[in-house]
Amino acid sequence: MDAFGMGLVAAMGALATVAGASEDIDSDIGSQSNPNSQVQLAAQVGNPHRIYNKAIAGEPPSNALWCTTAAIMAYVLIEGYHMPLLFAAAAGASLAALFDGVMSVSAYLGRNASQARFNQWIYLDIIRYTTPSIMAHVWITSFCIVLIAIMQVYILTPHHPFPIPVIALVWGLTVGAIGSSVGDIHYGGEREFQWRLFGQGLNTMLSGQIVRKAEAGLRNSIDNAWFCAKFGGPATGMGFGLTVFLDNWRTTVFDPITQAGAAIAMGVFFVIVMNLYNFYCEVSARRKYGPYPGYKGDIAA
Amino acid sequence: MNFDANTIIYLLEIIVGGLLVGIGVHFVPVGGAPAAMAQATGIGTGTVQLAAGSGLTGLLSAGLMMHAMSLSPTFAQDGYSIWPILLTGAVGAMIMMDATMLTGSWIYAYAVGAPFASAKVNYDPITMFSQPPYVAPGTVGQGIPTVCFVSGTIGAAMGGLGGALIYFPLVLINGNPAMSAIFAIGIFMVDAVLASWNIQGTIEGFHDPKFKKWPKAFKACLISTAILAVVAVLITPLVGGV
Repeated sequence: MDAFGMGLVAAMGALATVAGASEDIDSDIGSQSNPNSQVQLAAQVGNPHRIYNKAIAGEPPSNALWCTTAAIMAYVLIEGYHMPLLFAAAAGASLAALFDGVMSVSAYLGRNASQARFNQWIYLDIIRYTTPSIMAHVWITSFCIVLIAIMQVYILTPHHPFPIPVIALVWGLTVGAIGSSVGDIHYGGEREFQWRLFGQGLNTMLSGQIVRKAEAGLRNSIDNAWFCAKFGGPATGMGFGLTVFLDNWRTTVFDPITQAGAAIAMGVFFVIVMNLYNFYCEVSARRKYGPYPGYKGDIAA
Repeated sequence: MNFDANTIIYLLEIIVGGLLVGIGVHFVPVGGAPAAMAQATGIGTGTVQLAAGSGLTGLLSAGLMMHAMSLSPTFAQDGYSIWPILLTGAVGAMIMMDATMLTGSWIYAYAVGAPFASAKVNYDPITMFSQPPYVAPGTVGQGIPTVCFVSGTIGAAMGGLGGALIYFPLVLINGNPAMSAIFAIGIFMVDAVLASWNIQGTIEGFHDPKFKKWPKAFKACLISTAILAVVAVLITPLVGGV
């Protein structure tokens, strides 16, 4: 263990936290991934809306695409043209953001045009001021992930044997999977349905009945990002940050060659702690919200 | 490379790795899009995406461990030792899956405000907590109860172990970590998708009745991985390893 390596792992954890948060907010602004099923459905059940609609792909494949695009450009600039690492990462992220902008606009136009029969309009002002926000968040995500990959390959010892694009592909898939599993719940379960009864899951009968009015005026995707940045985004960042930090911390503190057993045992310890913490969350939620009042079965709570 | 007894061992390792991935997916509690709206128990995303996210995080750890071993001064005499590589892959995958489920639980418990409940069993097999009184009407459970969390951890361990077990022989065959990683990701995806079809996209874990369908996925993964393993072993002499 050396102090430099520990500092690098801490920096990677911090970058991962930022990447996770911006990834989730990007998916909330663009309304990507699982909760977008409700946005799609809303117009069909008679609720046309002003929410952006860019289901380009599931979050993991699309983020893997942005991060790999950024990483390939960074890799070419570093290996072929000997550019500085930070500049290469920034240039790669800009390319990824441009790709994302093109696909977001075509997804919004295509999806909403196909719903014209349900009175769903294409709002040009939404495209104009929402797309740059989406691109900015994709820039942050891919920049952070390319930097993590660069650190793993060029700086942290032992150097990772995979090239930058492969590492960026894997981290992109992972950050997308975490954003889709964690942040989406805050957007889909909470923000889209704020008038359901608190303390229970969403009744299937309410599908498509998303909230369309904002704190002022009609709700758009920027309002959703404002709300989800308070908890869903940071929680996603925490999930991805924990993954990157804990996984690299154990192989930095313990030498993977001579102390492989200790590194593995430390990982198992983290896993046990997280299992116990989830049990605490379960007990606490059951105590706070209690059984459903209208339950008629014969199983005691 | 030449075909010899080692080739058979490599083939078997890849096939066992693929089977571990295929069965491991059955353990991961995924509720798909309804879970993202707190309408179903489990993690609110797709099976393949989550399994891939965790298994490939394990693959990164396993790749690093394998590379670190080759840097050891005694590597010339000792060679690779397979168990640390496999176990570190499993642990990396478990850390990713648990971090995801834990932060997801925060949102279910403190933002959406839903008590964790499974609609598939009356009592949680691990904590013995009653489930039906906590299932809100119009939903099939919410959140990630303890049994789902433990099941997800087991599934991630199997996925990480499987991914590392596919990666390990590929590196020995072609000596190129990048190509091996991409091939391992490919085989991983095929098995994860096959298993996902078998469970029709959602499952709660080993207590779910759908879990009993695993032998079908086992057979499908066996055939597909066997074909892919032969291709993986053959492709190196065809394109030339490094």
